Amino acid sequence: MRTFREIFRFECAYQLRRPATWLYAALLLGMTILFAGKVSIPKARAVGFYFNSSIITAEVTLIGSLLSLLVAAALAGSAGARDVQTRMDPLLHTTRLTKTAYLGGRFLAVFVMTALVQLAVPCGLLIVTLLSGLEPALSGPFRPTIYLSAYWMLAVPNAFAASALMFSVTVLSRRAIASLLGALFLCFTAVLSWQLLAATLGRWTLAECLDPMGLTVLSELARRWTPAEKGALIVGLQPILVLNRLLWLCASGVLLVVTTLRFRFAHSTGTASARRSPHPRPLTPLAREAPIRVPSVVRTFGFTTRFRQLVSISWASCRSILRGPPALLVVLPGVIFVLSGESLMQHLGTRLVPTTGLVTSILVNPADVYLWIAPLFLVVLYAGELVWRERDIGMSQLGDAAPVPEWINFSGRLCGLCLVLMALQLAMTVAGIVQQLMMGYHHVELGLYVRILFGLQLSRYVLFAMLAIVVHIVVNEKYVAHVVVILAYLATVFAPSVGVEHHMLVYGSAPGWTYSDMEGFGTSLRPVLSFMAYWSAWALLFAVVGALLWVRGPDDSLRARLKGARRRLSRTAAATAMTSVALVLAMGGFVFYNTNVLHAYQSTSDVLQAGADYERRYARFADLPQPHLDQVALDVEIFPDRPSARLRGIYHLVNRSSASIDSLHFVPSADVETSGVTFDRPAQLVLADSVLRYRIYALATPLQPGDSLQLGFTLRFVPRGFSNDGATSAASYNGTYISSEQLPIIGYARDRELSGEGERRIHGLGPRRPESAGLWIDGMGTSGRVSVSTVIATQSGQVAVAPGSLRRSYVRGTRRYFEYATAAPIRNDYAIYSAAYAVSEGEWRDSTSLGRAPVRIQVLYHPGHGRNVARAMASVRSSLDYMSREFGPYPHSEIRLIERPGDGIVLHSAPINIWFQEGFSLLAPRSDSSALDQVFAVVAHEVAHQWWGNTVTPAAIKGQALLTESLAWYSALNIVERERGSDELARLLAVMREAYLTPQSRAAPPLLQASSYSSVYRKGLFAMFALREYLGAERVNMALRRLVATYGDGRHPLATSQDLYRELLAVAPDSLRPLVADLFATNTYWELAATRAVAEPAENGQWRVTLDVTARKFVVDSSGAEVVQPMDDLVEVGISADSGSDSKPATLYRRAHRVGAGRQQFVITVPRKPSRAGIDPRSILIDVTSADNMIDVTFPSVIAARRSGGGRR
Amino acid sequence: MYGLLGPNGAGKSTLMRILATLQEPDSGTVTLDDIDAIGQTHRIRETLGYLPQEFGVYPKVRADELLAHFAVLKGIINRRERNEVVEGLLRQVNLWDARGKLLGGYSGGMKQRFGVAVALLGNPRLLIVDEPTAGLDPAERVRFLNLLSELGENSVVILSTHIVDDVSELCTRMAIINKGTILLETEPLAAVAALQGTIWRRVVPRAELERLEQEHAVISTKLLFGRTVVHVHSSSSPGREFECVAADLEDVYFTTMAGRFHDGAAREQAVAE
Repeated sequence: MRTFREIFRFECAYQLRRPATWLYAALLLGMTILFAGKVSIPKARAVGFYFNSSIITAEVTLIGSLLSLLVAAALAGSAGARDVQTRMDPLLHTTRLTKTAYLGGRFLAVFVMTALVQLAVPCGLLIVTLLSGLEPALSGPFRPTIYLSAYWMLAVPNAFAASALMFSVTVLSRRAIASLLGALFLCFTAVLSWQLLAATLGRWTLAECLDPMGLTVLSELARRWTPAEKGALIVGLQPILVLNRLLWLCASGVLLVVTTLRFRFAHSTGTASARRSPHPRPLTPLAREAPIRVPSVVRTFGFTTRFRQLVSISWASCRSILRGPPALLVVLPGVIFVLSGESLMQHLGTRLVPTTGLVTSILVNPADVYLWIAPLFLVVLYAGELVWRERDIGMSQLGDAAPVPEWINFSGRLCGLCLVLMALQLAMTVAGIVQQLMMGYHHVELGLYVRILFGLQLSRYVLFAMLAIVVHIVVNEKYVAHVVVILAYLATVFAPSVGVEHHMLVYGSAPGWTYSDMEGFGTSLRPVLSFMAYWSAWALLFAVVGALLWVRGPDDSLRARLKGARRRLSRTAAATAMTSVALVLAMGGFVFYNTNVLHAYQSTSDVLQAGADYERRYARFADLPQPHLDQVALDVEIFPDRPSARLRGIYHLVNRSSASIDSLHFVPSADVETSGVTFDRPAQLVLADSVLRYRIYALATPLQPGDSLQLGFTLRFVPRGFSNDGATSAASYNGTYISSEQLPIIGYARDRELSGEGERRIHGLGPRRPESAGLWIDGMGTSGRVSVSTVIATQSGQVAVAPGSLRRSYVRGTRRYFEYATAAPIRNDYAIYSAAYAVSEGEWRDSTSLGRAPVRIQVLYHPGHGRNVARAMASVRSSLDYMSREFGPYPHSEIRLIERPGDGIVLHSAPINIWFQEGFSLLAPRSDSSALDQVFAVVAHEVAHQWWGNTVTPAAIKGQALLTESLAWYSALNIVERERGSDELARLLAVMREAYLTPQSRAAPPLLQASSYSSVYRKGLFAMFALREYLGAERVNMALRRLVATYGDGRHPLATSQDLYRELLAVAPDSLRPLVADLFATNTYWELAATRAVAEPAENGQWRVTLDVTARKFVVDSSGAEVVQPMDDLVEVGISADSGSDSKPATLYRRAHRVGAGRQQFVITVPRKPSRAGIDPRSILIDVTSADNMIDVTFPSVIAARRSGGGRR
Repeated sequence: MYGLLGPNGAGKSTLMRILATLQEPDSGTVTLDDIDAIGQTHRIRETLGYLPQEFGVYPKVRADELLAHFAVLKGIINRRERNEVVEGLLRQVNLWDARGKLLGGYSGGMKQRFGVAVALLGNPRLLIVDEPTAGLDPAERVRFLNLLSELGENSVVILSTHIVDDVSELCTRMAIINKGTILLETEPLAAVAALQGTIWRRVVPRAELERLEQEHAVISTKLLFGRTVVHVHSSSSPGREFECVAADLEDVYFTTMAGRFHDGAAREQAVAE
């Protein structure tokens, strides 16, 4: 015990004497203050909960805890391997010290020191809380539990697990670097659990147990908790977290015991190869031998030698990395990708075609943390190793005396690291190709792999590697430099969230690039390359600094190195430095000219500020009568090869108000240059706000009610360099898309107001206009109805599309002209397309009204993307059939599906023209009917939007998406069932229910006010489906038909969710009205579960099933509080039987019963032997955990009989 | 061949490192022919072979691999020549049979010999060897000294050691330094000659040692079969019990360290003139 205490005391004192320990604490404190002040406070402000809440404290604590892994690694590496490294082990290990005392004392010191260093986090948080002058809304009551629980439940257990693992591996391997590998392992496991297992694969509970750092738990809480809960609940006290902590404490304890048992005080016997040959051949001990002549060689020190030296050092560095166990990191991402690739390349259960574009986009996606964390670790770890390796093993003097210039030493190591990164990219490429072949895809585009993985991606890694090596050289203190490198990395990641958004200010950053089959990299490459060139110039400058300060010889003080640097500053070095400075200035100037001169640079906060200013200054014009847009005539010239476009538009505006209008408010779009505004009558520009983009023209003679005027304008889409966000122009080489949103708006545009409650609060704006006043059709909103006629000229190889029918198409020279016009007015939401499309044509005849001309169906797609065209075409036909039969005729004579560049699985149903992104083309539903045909279902949803959205247009207020998205999905569901049968319907519902797998807050406004994705796309559908099951499809559609009849003409007033609710109530019998209210007017959940099902044989071969169920109904309010409701609802009870091995179970019994809250029993007799029984078998009601609705039936009497029978035999 | 002799901590290694371009002196100059060894370190390094007193090697690399790597670093870029040089040197330092072993499995002596091979790469004109014989067994030491003397015919070899025999066997010139200052800079033969007739030896019981040290200029004591042998420096016989012995380099060293060499040497020189 005495020795234990002495070991502990000595170790603590030793570490406390080292400045690095204090530096870690200081860095952690600084990081906490910076992160809390710059990231957490704005977040709390935006979302609306206390800054000193448990969730924020926990978040900052975990980030501190992750950073402290490096601290633990430094401490454990020192405590576990120092004795061996300094060769002091024989002195120590021959004392009377016991293993337990030695290891225990050392370990405890590592753990205690790591935990103590992390006290910097709560200190930093308290400092921020007290000193940053938080507004009262952000600072909640001071609750010590929050800090204590964060420290004791997150920081301390993490420190324990980290210290235990790192100390164990270090002691057993006797190498300090092992502790860093331990840190790596923990970090990797945590990230993999969180990102891959939980977020991507949906295995949340498993991931939460596996994650050694607790990231996954926090991530779940962040998703599940409401703002109110975030302000009130304590993270550290959550059961799953406690379980996780216990699990890892036990694991760490076991590890420590194993380490103690396996540890030997004996002297290390050296390497494996030495052990293999215990008796080396005796070396010839002859003192006198004929002298052996070493050939004398001529040495040269020209360019060739420098090159060979560089190659030799690079190769040696690369091999030294690839020889160690961390080399696994090089192949690990690839292996993970191959193992998980299929589940990554699917969308809602439907496989995606693994094109090279898709595979590479996953391999380089910054959101897939587990894939890019490997290069990060490789760089962080090995930049240090390569800089320090010779010094660590004491070989530096041999190399330092060799005639190798410092810059060769420096760049050799950089190249070595780059070779490793290339190996990583190679492994990724191989993994990508293997995955493609495994999925049966053979069109491997090697060139694309090279350009993306070895060009765009590798260059980022190399820039970071360069920085890391230079940091290690300059800092010259290994573990401190590790921390600095990590912080530098985090700084680049978090720079945008602390307001540093300009890519010229964040090392190595550049705008994103896009790749698509349709237009390749399009115009996105040039900005990226320009920024990369700019940062490469900086990197070159860093390299010169690194070479000048390169440590050579034993005196590595900064003073000595600065002195040496002056001597090393040769003419070449100076010239290189000058060149790099010149390049920085030149490239920087070029980039700046593009981002800030050619484009007006606006940070996110600038944009938000402008939005607030816009509202503050011009909202007073919101109710000013303005003429309505009635007709639009567009003349569009598209030049895809430049790419550029020019649009001349004429608005035909009608004064539909009862007052005369004397001024016109003209609001051009932000994304495009708008000019050439003309009127068909005298008008004068009286206000031109070019910053907020607001113009007011005074009309010489006011526009009388009923009168109309014509307004002309020109839009120019000309590539003018690039902005900080990259190239942004609607014109493109192959996939031009000019949307009506880019056209000017007449009158104050409400959709430019800030919409987030948090950002409105921050900018001092009150809540947006009360909802009752929102039933407007403003002059230009997308709810208005317009007629559009268009003339488009494009390159002769391309097809151009606009809304309406194609009236004329002709070629003149190299230009091809298209003239379109709408036959009936459409909702003011349209676009102009131009690309080299393949066109698939079909038609559909309306069987309900014989006189109507057939509707032309066109699918315009990128050649090669035709695999789903037939499915889509079939779906359009079926959908038009069903929708027009149920809800009235389709008003146009064509309907189109048009492909756009982009890898998203995103579709948008504008009137007539439905666009989809290329990602949708990659869906590969199974050819047999065993899985959901997602293409069919999604296209049905989009066609249904022609009624739900384009015919019945809801007012732009909360709950509007219930009338568009929920109804469109509900109709699609009916279409799917009608065409493909009830099995397909069940599959569609099952896919939709997968949304419940992702933890999320159940607190939400009721559907009537819903706006969140999960509410309107999923819960709204489930509610409509439940209603259909209770009321019958016909009755529900009757209500919907009345909605179409009332609001289908798109005139004032617009429909709201309340109108839908009223219609639904109207068709529901009295007995079911409460259910309609539960589903739509409150945020109601049911919790239904079968707890026991026992069957015994009854007379006549029948079976009697005794079924125990529990039921509960509750409302979750927006703060997350559950209010239990009395329950007396009709709920189905069902019993099913297996019928053969693979066919689906047969329903033996299904009938609605009155079910109250609590535990209850049903006794039901069925004709055959049952297998499963339960409540709400088809999961009709809103139940988050519907898997427990049905359970297996048990047969106690049968088992008993069989047992006794067996005994007799 | 130049020997640098001095006790531990005398500043030998620092001086060697300065000569090997690894450290800059606070003041002073170093030149090799016309090369300024401080300002033009790269030119020195091109003709330099350096064997540090203590060094490590990559444990997981084969000896021939690492030697070839150093050969490239030292400018031997022709592959055929490099292979010949590597083989020749490995044979010369008796590591040829162990060339395929990982360096991590090398004994201290083998590692030392490997270092010698690195230092000899590329026939350096200036060879700086810091305590080279420290880890070598007697046979290897002889072998290595032979090698050095061979090299010394064409190159400048500077050898630091605290083993007097190394210097006496090899060096034509030498210096004795202590605490950073040169106490003596001479030719070993001349220095030994200068001391002839002034070194007196006596075997005493241990108890008398203290008294003897007060009475005479004792320059060294050592044990021989359990008894103490004392050397005393004196121009005339210090007493009957003493016998005059032939001086060797060790006596030069201890006399110098005792601060008495100059008297004797100066007088000798005066006599010679």
